[in-house]
Amino acid sequence: MKLAAASMFVAVASACLATAAFASAEKGLEIAIEADSRDKGFGDSTAQITMILMDKYGQSTERAIRNRTFEGDNEGDKSLVIFDSPGDVRGTAFLSHTKKADSDDQWLYLPALKRVKRIASSNKAGPFMGSEFSYEDIASQEVEKYTYNYLRDEKLNGLDCFVIEYDPVDPKSGYKRQIVWMDTTEYRVHKIDFYDRKDALLKTLNYENYNQYLGKFWRSNRLVMINHQTGKKTELVFADWKLQTGMTERDFEKSALKRTR
Amino acid sequence: MITSASLSFAIALLLAQSAFAGEVQGTLSSRLDFYPDHADGTASEGRSAEVKIDVFHDLDESRVVGEFIARGDEKDSGRRITEARQAYFRTPLAGFDVFVGNRQEFWGKAESKNVVDVINQSDAAANEGKSDKLGAPSISAERYLGIGDLQLWYISSFREKTFNDSEAHPSSGLPVSSAQYARKEGKDADDFAARLSSFVGDWDLAGSVFYGTARDPILSVASGGRALNPYYALQKSIGLEAQYTGDVTLLKWESLHGTQSSLLGAHDFAAAVAGIEYTFYGPFETMWDIGLIVEIQHDDRPQAAANQFGVAGVRLVFNDIADSNILFLASADRKADQSVVSLEASRRISDVTSVKLTSQFYNARTTTSTFGQLSDDDAVTLTLNMFF
Repeated sequence: MKLAAASMFVAVASACLATAAFASAEKGLEIAIEADSRDKGFGDSTAQITMILMDKYGQSTERAIRNRTFEGDNEGDKSLVIFDSPGDVRGTAFLSHTKKADSDDQWLYLPALKRVKRIASSNKAGPFMGSEFSYEDIASQEVEKYTYNYLRDEKLNGLDCFVIEYDPVDPKSGYKRQIVWMDTTEYRVHKIDFYDRKDALLKTLNYENYNQYLGKFWRSNRLVMINHQTGKKTELVFADWKLQTGMTERDFEKSALKRTR
Repeated sequence: MITSASLSFAIALLLAQSAFAGEVQGTLSSRLDFYPDHADGTASEGRSAEVKIDVFHDLDESRVVGEFIARGDEKDSGRRITEARQAYFRTPLAGFDVFVGNRQEFWGKAESKNVVDVINQSDAAANEGKSDKLGAPSISAERYLGIGDLQLWYISSFREKTFNDSEAHPSSGLPVSSAQYARKEGKDADDFAARLSSFVGDWDLAGSVFYGTARDPILSVASGGRALNPYYALQKSIGLEAQYTGDVTLLKWESLHGTQSSLLGAHDFAAAVAGIEYTFYGPFETMWDIGLIVEIQHDDRPQAAANQFGVAGVRLVFNDIADSNILFLASADRKADQSVVSLEASRRISDVTSVKLTSQFYNARTTTSTFGQLSDDDAVTLTLNMFF
């Protein structure tokens, strides 16, 4: 009799746990979809970026980059990154057609050779320009690239935030999971903890200085990525955000790479 | 006919005429060549310097682009050059982007050799086997067609390949005499080319056609053996390119088929490069990328050093702040009668300086082969670039 009661208890408890797990996955996905839909309609954007790379001794070097993004309809966003400094990579450009489910399509333009080169996009975990940002960190974030798990509500810097676990779908991702803090009113990401494949805390990214554009779209003007394992740090400082500039899909074809200057 | 000089002048006028709405950038490169192993057991060195000015200027929808080069060399007059590698006016017209002037263009997919890259002449004296090019005086048009990018080219005059002095390196040791042409218009003969390039999923594809003067001359030793005679044949060809981009594997194909008409009559030819590149991303818990490259070259034109070459190499990218990387390539013909080993390493020193070390070592069993003649020309080159 006792045994039956105990097994009944176990059964009920596991059912509750399973429901809770399902509920938290569902809530996580709902929040991710809401955050994504709030940014729908920006059309295209441009920004000037200063990338500041700091080693663990605090010595720093800077890069100047321009970024252009085109909002995707059915597929993911398209983005173009153009390097203005340092001198040896001046004019180099990187084009990415983000895919929701598949691997992204990526090309590199080498100005000295006037050569457009298709590159493998499986190197997601590799460092972008020797920085603490990997290729997947700078890629456009699509809902389909993760599964979600809502963890809790928590205050961060005085803001009410959802805390959600993002689990990358792609096994080639450099991360086992990401813990994301997103505020509950505007659905802006404020902080991400990245855990490596061995589930050790690898990096923390903080989003600062949010501004709203066209009365709707929030863009952060300062991203700070700290690598806890190496002590290195990379800052991205954004200036001159412009949205709905009127660029067309043609400006993001691979032939456009030759015309980025 | 468009001449480089008249174009450069027109572009200078355009630039001067209106308020400047563009950018000017420069690169100063100084280079030290060391030749460690001459046939007579001696070694020598050479010094050269190059300044490159990049400029563009916007006029509404149109743009003027210039890339001007001046290169001096202590000993080698073949390497001395002033060149408008690019000097063109680009404007939208009837749905096309139209370019008028000197232009540089790259076609191809492979790493070790690009047989379909037919638009520009090679500035071979600047860098043997490397990518330096001479501007093609041309009118070209480009348009995105939905299925891909279409390019149409009319090249109004021919640029001869540059050669190092007979005393300089690399060289056959013989002076190069004035060029002979299969086409009676010689340098003034017009060339035509077109290319359609596209991508479908993981495949990047392109097809091209070319009618014009072959870029590589057929070299023969003049009677008496005192000079090399370059002879430029007429070439009609079709080029095909394909690249498959997998997760870690790239497959590459380039081929050029056609006929070449010379003093000996018209001959069909085929040239192709097939390759595979496999990359280990972040091996041994590092941030490095290690790429393994294997390519096979075939070229049955008389200009080729050998019909078949096999190339194997390693590319090491450190992904560090200084962008350090190393490329090592070894090539040999089928019977291993001729081989060349090359190493390229570069890194950034500061935001405005970078350094590059390159070296080539030639080996040949017979002195009469092309590489045999180059066996005097093993070279180690150090280049310092400054950007302003």
